Amino acid sequence: MAEAAIDESPRTARAIARTRLADRDGFLAWIFLVPTVVYVIALVAVPFFLAIAFAFSDVTSGDPSYDWAGLTNFRRVFNDAVFWQSLQNTFVFTIVSMLLIVVLGKVLANILVADFRGKWIVRFLALLPWTTPVALSTVTWLWLLHSIYSPIDWVLRNLGLIGDNVYWLGRPTTAMISIIAVHVWRLVPLAAVIIMVGILSIPNDINEAARIDGAGFWRRMFEITIPLTSPLIAVSALFGAIFTFTDIAVVQVLTGGKPGNSTHVLASWSYIRGIGGGDIGQGAVIALFLFPLLLAAAVLILRAVRRMETI
Amino acid sequence: MVPSLDPWSRRRFLQVAGLAGAGTALAACASEPESPGEQADAQAQEPSPTFTDPSTQLSGTLKILMWSHFVPSHDEWFDKFVTDWGNEVGVDVQVDHIDVANVPSRIASQIQAGQGHDLMQYIATLSQFEPSVLDMTDVNEEASNRHGTQLAMCTESSFNPHTNKFYAFAPGWVPDPGNYQRGLWEPVGFPDGPTTWDELREGGAEIMASENIPVGLGMSQEIDSNMAGHALLWSYGASIQDENEKVVLNSPETIAAVEFMTGLFNDAMTDEIFAWNAASNNEGLIAGELSYILNSISAYRSTQDTNPQLANDTFFTPALQGPETGLAAQHVMYNYVIPEHAENPDAAKEFLLHFTDNFELVTYHSRLYDFPSWPSLAPNLGDWLTTDPFGSEPADKLSFLGDVETATEWSVSIGHPGPSSPAIGEVLGTYLIPNMFAAAARGQASPEEAVRSTHAEIERIFGRWRQRGLIGGG
Repeated sequence: MAEAAIDESPRTARAIARTRLADRDGFLAWIFLVPTVVYVIALVAVPFFLAIAFAFSDVTSGDPSYDWAGLTNFRRVFNDAVFWQSLQNTFVFTIVSMLLIVVLGKVLANILVADFRGKWIVRFLALLPWTTPVALSTVTWLWLLHSIYSPIDWVLRNLGLIGDNVYWLGRPTTAMISIIAVHVWRLVPLAAVIIMVGILSIPNDINEAARIDGAGFWRRMFEITIPLTSPLIAVSALFGAIFTFTDIAVVQVLTGGKPGNSTHVLASWSYIRGIGGGDIGQGAVIALFLFPLLLAAAVLILRAVRRMETI
Repeated sequence: MVPSLDPWSRRRFLQVAGLAGAGTALAACASEPESPGEQADAQAQEPSPTFTDPSTQLSGTLKILMWSHFVPSHDEWFDKFVTDWGNEVGVDVQVDHIDVANVPSRIASQIQAGQGHDLMQYIATLSQFEPSVLDMTDVNEEASNRHGTQLAMCTESSFNPHTNKFYAFAPGWVPDPGNYQRGLWEPVGFPDGPTTWDELREGGAEIMASENIPVGLGMSQEIDSNMAGHALLWSYGASIQDENEKVVLNSPETIAAVEFMTGLFNDAMTDEIFAWNAASNNEGLIAGELSYILNSISAYRSTQDTNPQLANDTFFTPALQGPETGLAAQHVMYNYVIPEHAENPDAAKEFLLHFTDNFELVTYHSRLYDFPSWPSLAPNLGDWLTTDPFGSEPADKLSFLGDVETATEWSVSIGHPGPSSPAIGEVLGTYLIPNMFAAAARGQASPEEAVRSTHAEIERIFGRWRQRGLIGGG
């Protein structure tokens, strides 16, 4: 008996200790948070502060040694017309894409929640652009818009709408339209899914009551559906804006900033300056200009989420 | 009772159809006839490899980063060649071939990280990486001891006279002739293709008017556009820098070259050239949709495989004559660098010497695309160019290249008449020259404005590299 008691006491003590540890909310919270914190520090905070450090240095792609350069890189970037063009393009692409993404996302969401034969295949096809890797889908678009082989041009030519090829990517206006079109094509499914969740969460009673009261489709749309899903529409708009604002893949693969430097955005111009030209300092300065808008977008998303919680 | 399965249910039908489709595709691949380009002339003697014992005992791993060659047969040969060498000297060799456009960024990221490959190769100058790569003077001296004097333009593309450092090793290069379709140029009075820039504009405009087929010189942010722009500048007597690395772009000669390019664009080209990538002029030639391009012989070799009839109608011209001279940039200048972080630099250097010793094999397996930097390394090149072992019709189609030294008469390094310094590397990497031509051709700026603003930007770039002590001039 005595031996058993001696054997059990350390085991019991360990079990009690384990139980106490597992019951401590503060301890568990930190354990669960650690992976996220490490991730954010390693992949967000470190690169961000590194970019700030590089912005004030003369680091090049061939010479990583750090020398203080003060505001020289900022002055050079501000004197560069392509930087201002890239900044303008970034806003144009983002705003136009965001508007189209929200409108088309709402339309697609309405289609996806409707009952019809073959709904699952339509849902599958509608989501494909979002699930396809962006580089792969953009390469496909590159061929669709090819100066010689473009099937789009072929169709337009055979319909008698154009004579010669359009050279979509060879002219600034059509190149910008092409970039926006690919962004919209890629992000509309994401917006549609987000908005669809909002539509499905509206109780049927409300729509039924409105219908009985004689409200038509448009009236229900503008007085019930849109107001009740507006927080989610805001979230989808902000996601669309962030994805467009920070994207480099579509511009880099589709135009590489061409023709001239007319379609560069901040991310692609930062890459050309920092890696292509080897001037990491200037590349970092350009990339830092992404930060203020992304910060604002993040704040707005958090507010929208808070609004959803209070609804 | 168990229901019997319908042998032609929808599922079964799809399975059978799928298998039949896959089988047909495999059979088609297996029975695909050899293209003329693949039927190497039986008369042609593949050179025998040579081997020299390394000067030191080698071991460990050698990691090599290089482009995916425009002539794919080269890479098949190279991978076996380097593995055989590794087995001979006791080194485990790993080769990573990546798309040419991604090489500079990969090198930059590895240098920033301080780890990665031991040996890195690119097809243009890597001078911007000079502070972080090993001095290759010993390799260059040993190669010259073995093979004689290196071509001047290859030395200029790997040596910084200001710091007296061989930042790279350049064992080979590629000429950049014009490719034209004889069937288009014959009716407009130029059966042997254009020989001057003025003839290019005259004939190109006529072909554009009669056949709606444009000339294909890029004004885009890609390497071929860089080469075309430089060729035009030099032929007009203009250049980015002088021999002392002083920026001299803003000159009447440059303005005249930009005016010419604007006229050529208006008469004989389309907007497509503003959005090109490095493969676009190849695609246009292979499709028969361009009358003239500047692009080595790789596009022609591809055409041999895909469209033999068009390949037979494709011919070449050396650099076009301008008002001052007729020069072209090298289409490719192989630059090998060994970064400071390399874990096996001895093996890298020994491999480079072995590779150089066998450069005639490189020329052969690249289907005469790659030329050596030491003329003595290609004793059979002249014969091969006269009687192409890779199926040209007529067989002497490439004889205009003569041999290595003939081709260098109209080829110069990208920094000509100065060295290919880090500043020149940055000018190339930011595509300032094609952008300058494009700005004028698109009517965004007058030729004078385009030249003036480009000159100012290049001055800023040179100034920055001067501050770092890596270039001269000033």
